[in-house]
Amino acid sequence: MGANIYKNKKPIIFFLLPAFGFMFVFLYYPFVQNIINSFQNITGLGAAATGWNTPWYGNYVDMFKDPNMWTAFKNTLIMTIATVVGQVGIALVLALLINNIKYGTVFFRIVFFFPIVVSATALGLLFNLIFLYDKGMVNQILELFGIAKLIDWKDEGHALMTMLIPVTWQYVGFYFIILVTGLNGIDEELYEAAAIDGASKWQKIRFISIPLIHNTLCTCAILAVTGALKVFDLPWVMFPKGIPYGNTWLTGTYMYYQTFNASNVDYSSAIAVLIVGLGIILSQTVNMIFKAKDY
Amino acid sequence: MMKIKKIVSLIVASTIALSLVACGGKTASEGAPSSESKAPATSTAPETPKAVGPVTLNVTTTYAGNDGNAGNFKEAVASWTEKTGNKVNDASATSDETFKARILSDFETGSEPDVLFFFNGVDSNAFVKAGKVVSIDTIRSEYPDYASNMKEGMMGASPVDGKNYSVPVNGYWEGMFVNKSVCEAAGVKIPDATTTWDEFLAICQKIKDAGYAPIAASLATVPHYWFEFSIYNYLDPATHNILPTSVEDKHGKAWVSGLNDIKALYEKGFFPDNTLTGTDDETVQMFVDGKAAFLIDGSWKVGGIEGMTDSIDNFTVTYVPGKNNRKSTDIIGGLSSGYYITTKAWEDPEKRAAAVDFVKYMTSDEMVSKFAGVSATALKNGVKVDESALSSLALSGLELVKGATGMAGAVQDQIPTEARVPVFDGMPNLVTGKVEIPAAVTQVLDAIGK
Amino acid sequence: MNKGTLTRKSKFKLSICFIYIALSIWALTTIYPIIWVVLNSFKDRRFIISRSFELPVGELFTLGNYQLAFERVNIFGAYRNSLVISCTVAAVVILFAGLAAYILVRYEFPGKKLLQSLVLAGMMFPAFSTIIPVFRLMNSWGIVNTNNVWLSLLATALPQIAGNMSFSIVVLTGFIRGLPIELEEAAYMEGCNIYQIFFKVIMPLTKPAFATVGTFSFLWSYNDLFTQMFTLRLKDQWAITRLLNELTSMEGTNYGLMAAAVTLVVIPVMIVYICLQKYIIKGMTAGAVKG
Repeated sequence: MGANIYKNKKPIIFFLLPAFGFMFVFLYYPFVQNIINSFQNITGLGAAATGWNTPWYGNYVDMFKDPNMWTAFKNTLIMTIATVVGQVGIALVLALLINNIKYGTVFFRIVFFFPIVVSATALGLLFNLIFLYDKGMVNQILELFGIAKLIDWKDEGHALMTMLIPVTWQYVGFYFIILVTGLNGIDEELYEAAAIDGASKWQKIRFISIPLIHNTLCTCAILAVTGALKVFDLPWVMFPKGIPYGNTWLTGTYMYYQTFNASNVDYSSAIAVLIVGLGIILSQTVNMIFKAKDY
Repeated sequence: MMKIKKIVSLIVASTIALSLVACGGKTASEGAPSSESKAPATSTAPETPKAVGPVTLNVTTTYAGNDGNAGNFKEAVASWTEKTGNKVNDASATSDETFKARILSDFETGSEPDVLFFFNGVDSNAFVKAGKVVSIDTIRSEYPDYASNMKEGMMGASPVDGKNYSVPVNGYWEGMFVNKSVCEAAGVKIPDATTTWDEFLAICQKIKDAGYAPIAASLATVPHYWFEFSIYNYLDPATHNILPTSVEDKHGKAWVSGLNDIKALYEKGFFPDNTLTGTDDETVQMFVDGKAAFLIDGSWKVGGIEGMTDSIDNFTVTYVPGKNNRKSTDIIGGLSSGYYITTKAWEDPEKRAAAVDFVKYMTSDEMVSKFAGVSATALKNGVKVDESALSSLALSGLELVKGATGMAGAVQDQIPTEARVPVFDGMPNLVTGKVEIPAAVTQVLDAIGK
Repeated sequence: MNKGTLTRKSKFKLSICFIYIALSIWALTTIYPIIWVVLNSFKDRRFIISRSFELPVGELFTLGNYQLAFERVNIFGAYRNSLVISCTVAAVVILFAGLAAYILVRYEFPGKKLLQSLVLAGMMFPAFSTIIPVFRLMNSWGIVNTNNVWLSLLATALPQIAGNMSFSIVVLTGFIRGLPIELEEAAYMEGCNIYQIFFKVIMPLTKPAFATVGTFSFLWSYNDLFTQMFTLRLKDQWAITRLLNELTSMEGTNYGLMAAAVTLVVIPVMIVYICLQKYIIKGMTAGAVKG
């Protein structure tokens, strides 16, 4: 069905060319350079390569031996789960809730967007002050409840949680807007018809809303997975250099660190290749999961 | 053949640049060089440069943003352009890692500026090696009095070949800032030039017993200053800057002993509780808020602390207590940046004289005094500062420099950033014993040798 | 009967109340930071960390941060530059990504899988691993490192367009896939060609999605300091993010000034978002499907 319109393949090239032209020149071609860089020896961003690595794939071997890389990998997996479940989950709940109200939708849509527009530097400072050891907001509140001993929210036991909460919180609004956009595409009459059939609220969500924003949810899941792999700015402001003891590295922050702090550009190029590879694999997996699941 | 082509293209490029400037600029910089070219360059530069038509210089410096000298630089550029009729395209930016990357890629792509104010340590190696900047000796072969007001040995020779390429302006020193009220509350004497290391330890213990953190430092993010001084304590101004060849030689041992001292301070609990998790901003704030007594930092912190407190008289700066051969009055300091003239500008007959004149103007005694304030300079005649305008903290900074018996540059400037990782970012692992100190030093030395 | 409606109504009200409470709790967490930033922008740097959670009244209050921001720099010129760059980026991205997404959804052709993977990969390329080759390329075209404002703005927009393309294609693909193909068939029957179908059927029906994509492209372009560091050199070329970064980044960060800078940066983005979000409205496809 519909195949008739799309039998003539001529427009394909004209429609694809502008977008992919841009991406080839400004993304793929430079990234090929990046792949080449990962086999060379480069000591600073912008500096020329001083020759090939020995062995040429040395950086990739180093990655396997680098304990920080393993920490980053582990934390990023946790981050992925937090983003998919936390960000997309909370966003979905909020979007479904807002779908049920008449007044104030615009207000909520605007305020939920706030965390995305405030720069990570400012948010990082705010959260640093909230979780400050001596005496941030949280420790002050705890004091009110009689817990006098200061808690170091950035020590080994707490660091990961202290990082995950703000990062998850920050991008809920992003998925919220995409999901709201998706929910708005659903025909109001479907709900009305269901109401006549005596469907409960929950049933409406389960059998109308969720199936019909299936595509949008899939998009969000892909964005969440890839986003987790490259998340960088807020974690970097709050936990520079993987403090404490390199416990909070993420693939995104570790790559940045290797580029700018350790001036190990070739190694960071290798990490970038790994991130892109992982991203493709993970997002294809997400795609498959969503395709397999039939509503 | 190639050279001619290059020069021709440069001339074409600069003409284009000129015409573009003329389009938008207010100064009549194009055409008729006859009337405007007799630039009256007399005031500070002893030798009048050969008169050339108005030129547009591309200048990039780190005098931008909140740099204390950003305003001074703007004024200086304005007065130079007025004096000479030349024009300056100022592409200065705050110095950070992105800025460094931009400068390096500019050199790589041949779009470097004519005059550059940049670091003279390992950061400059790439373009010095590539011959993209002109050495002072080469410039002096045509302009004999170039940078003649500077002390030869202090100009910041390139780590590549030991030659001078840049002319420094304002330098830095590192010292120990003191929050006086904390010392008073703990009933200890404020350290001075005579305080020894052991006395310092006793003072710290008393401060700790009084319930304050003796030393504000974030070992997690900025252990740099403690690294310098603890190693310095096992060396002296003459030998501090020699890199060890192995962990076993005299310098290698000094490094290990120095790092062990930091570990000892950590174990005694002289750093804040969150020194391994907090950021530098947080620990500096502790110091200003009167929760910690001492802070080792650089001369730039004078302005930083002035901006953070109402009671500047509560703060002073003194020498970091020394031990062994290092006297407390032996300080760390130097001139880590300077003005370079690029080969591109030097080989451009139109720009050569203007570039030289610009650097001479910017590095004259008068100008350097204005830029340097309380920081170190390489001037033969020293700086002239109006002391009445300075805060008490700035004055104690001046005293610190005057009373210094020796000065050594920071040894970390000789270590490529890539190699510093095990002892800088790895500092928390060293003080908690997760990594053996000699092993970490060996890693650094291996990385330098690579 | 009467009784029945009554209980249903009160139950209904209760659940609505619960919804408002839940939404409001989340709203509090998102509003608070921006209020915190604005309040602190009226405090001197001395008090930002030590008295961060107090209101800026009495001795805490100052307009100094804003004075500094407006005195030191040409803030309106920077706003203009930012708007030129980011509007260009958003417009070009919307159009080109829309075209590409449409093809990737509706057509079957060899190499489609590969292109889809390339799009996903494009989302993850870090800007700092691509900027140097891009910079060299643009240098050879002569559009960076010139004195010309417009060329510099162009040089900033080009890589940003490419950078936002992948994300936009991914999102738009999701939405176009959800459109009932019957509408396109109907238009085709009425004699529309493929271009007309895209501009007269696809684009209007997915207007909310295009608005979303436009918002984020604008936002990310606007906040992208890194590209600007390379492409915008001279002061008259600076965009607002670049300009305020120069003001605030230095030894002993001036947090008061930073808060003022964030406030000044956020205002235009909020205006753009508020303008665009009204396109995200209910029932775009509803009437059309019926017809």
